[in-house]
Amino acid sequence: MRNVTLNYIGRIALVVLIAALAGCHDKANLDPAQQSGGDPSLPQARNFLLPPMQVPEFAGWKDGQMPKVASGLKIEKIAGDLKHPRQLLTLPNGDVLVVEGNSPGTEAISTPKALIASKIKNRSGKGKKGGNSITLLRKNAAGGAWEKHVFIEHLHSPFGVQLIGDSLYVANTDAIVKFPYATGETEIKMPGTEFADLPSTVNHHWTKALLASADGSKLYVGVGSNSNVGEGGLEIEYRRAVVLEIDVATRGSRIYASGIRNPTGLGWEPQTKQLWAIANERDEIGADLVPDYLTSVRDGGFYGWPYSYYGQTVDERVKDQRPDLVAKAIKPDYALGSHVAALGLWFSTNNALPEKYHNGAFVGEHGSWDRSPLSGYAVVFIPFKDGKPAGAPETLVFGFYSDDEKQLYGAPVGVTQDQDGALLIADDVGNAVWRVTAAP
Amino acid sequence: MASTIEPRRAVFASAVFNILDPIPYGCFFAALIFDIVYFRSGTILWVHAAAWLIALGLVAAIVPRLINLAQVWFTARVRADGIDRLDFVLNLVAIVIAIVNAFLHSRDAYGSMPAGVWLSAATVILLTIGRGMLATRYAR
Repeated sequence: MRNVTLNYIGRIALVVLIAALAGCHDKANLDPAQQSGGDPSLPQARNFLLPPMQVPEFAGWKDGQMPKVASGLKIEKIAGDLKHPRQLLTLPNGDVLVVEGNSPGTEAISTPKALIASKIKNRSGKGKKGGNSITLLRKNAAGGAWEKHVFIEHLHSPFGVQLIGDSLYVANTDAIVKFPYATGETEIKMPGTEFADLPSTVNHHWTKALLASADGSKLYVGVGSNSNVGEGGLEIEYRRAVVLEIDVATRGSRIYASGIRNPTGLGWEPQTKQLWAIANERDEIGADLVPDYLTSVRDGGFYGWPYSYYGQTVDERVKDQRPDLVAKAIKPDYALGSHVAALGLWFSTNNALPEKYHNGAFVGEHGSWDRSPLSGYAVVFIPFKDGKPAGAPETLVFGFYSDDEKQLYGAPVGVTQDQDGALLIADDVGNAVWRVTAAP
Repeated sequence: MASTIEPRRAVFASAVFNILDPIPYGCFFAALIFDIVYFRSGTILWVHAAAWLIALGLVAAIVPRLINLAQVWFTARVRADGIDRLDFVLNLVAIVIAIVNAFLHSRDAYGSMPAGVWLSAATVILLTIGRGMLATRYAR
């Protein structure tokens, strides 16, 4: 009798162990191009004991080593030795601002998982300290590296930056700060004044994307969620996972759109003048879930987070469920692929690249820890027609990791174009700014 | 194990065992209660607490389990009876389940439910049976 019991218990233990190990293995089946567009295939959500994970180790760029570009293009490095450069802004006189920042590191370690995961993720170099500053780059008549000036210092995890008239607005993680700017300046010594405060508890997602309206009357702020899917409690998600609209004259703000997990980049679609955003979707329910997206942002629209994704696909990890909100969740316009981690958005109608890159959106994809094989780590172009995406994303710039996916050289973030129409890319792991033009 | 005069080393091992062995049992028991509270309320504090308790319980179990392993199968093998061996196996299975449960509790929010409650319950039940058997084995 006792032997039978022992046998039985042993068998249960074996089954449990095998189930545990089987749960650890999950490779992606769909590449980003296959999972892009208006109607991406969404596999069944899975729960893991150990989510799919792949983190290449930081290596950085060696002298002369550069990202690769698609045929017909040429790349050069215009600045190096920066401190975690993330966003770029070309000023009217052609100077380029490079915002250098990283997480303020204020998120408490509230679970054993957080303790371990942060150590693994930081191997890639993505977690290094940011400069909390803005560097100004000025084109050198002789070519090659651009002049580099320390423009603003002592910021607090800055990300977005916009110029309205003679005022420069910098989105720190906790507030928008306003600086007076005069054309041609290479340094602002005056301390900024606080223009508007921003949600800044916890700062799990700390970046605050910033975009001014064409007439300079409004500022739009992308505010990410404070968790993956509400695992910090929904009370810390107040005014999170939203796009805020701030009236520049009164400084009053309101929620323009909500349920967007992490809107890391904002832009005006040139033809329709409609607000668009890139967003990073949730992790840990599969290597092919959930695709990050590019979408038009409707006034008052709700995009699902945390209750659902891509419209009405419910996420079972949220308690309590909200069928009323799920029912009105808007499906995003265009999937970019799972875990590409889009962090930079730039719409362009005309530039110094070959003609096929002339009408559409450039997206900087930073790459994620939650996918094997790696995806993202590239700058892609999404062609637009009549104000809507038309076609699969085309990769322009790649080669940010080694062929065996073990080493990480760089990771693209913000994208913009300079006065000559060249595409500029901020690389926060390689601490460089890259410039892409048509090959001669 | 039947009590006879024991060498000093064995007394020390038994003392360490008796001091440390209740810690994981208490941790897993509290984790079960917190899991149930989270399952019913959805208040995130409780599942965070349960995740810490399971992790702490596992760490605290390392030394007493190694002592028990040595006593039952090596140093005091001759005095260990079937009850001791069954208790060892129950504890082993409970620890394996708790390890799986620790990974399960790394899932975000309600993703650990309801399986987390079942695994926490299984851990506590197995440990309780083992303790109950040891406590009552000389009862007439």
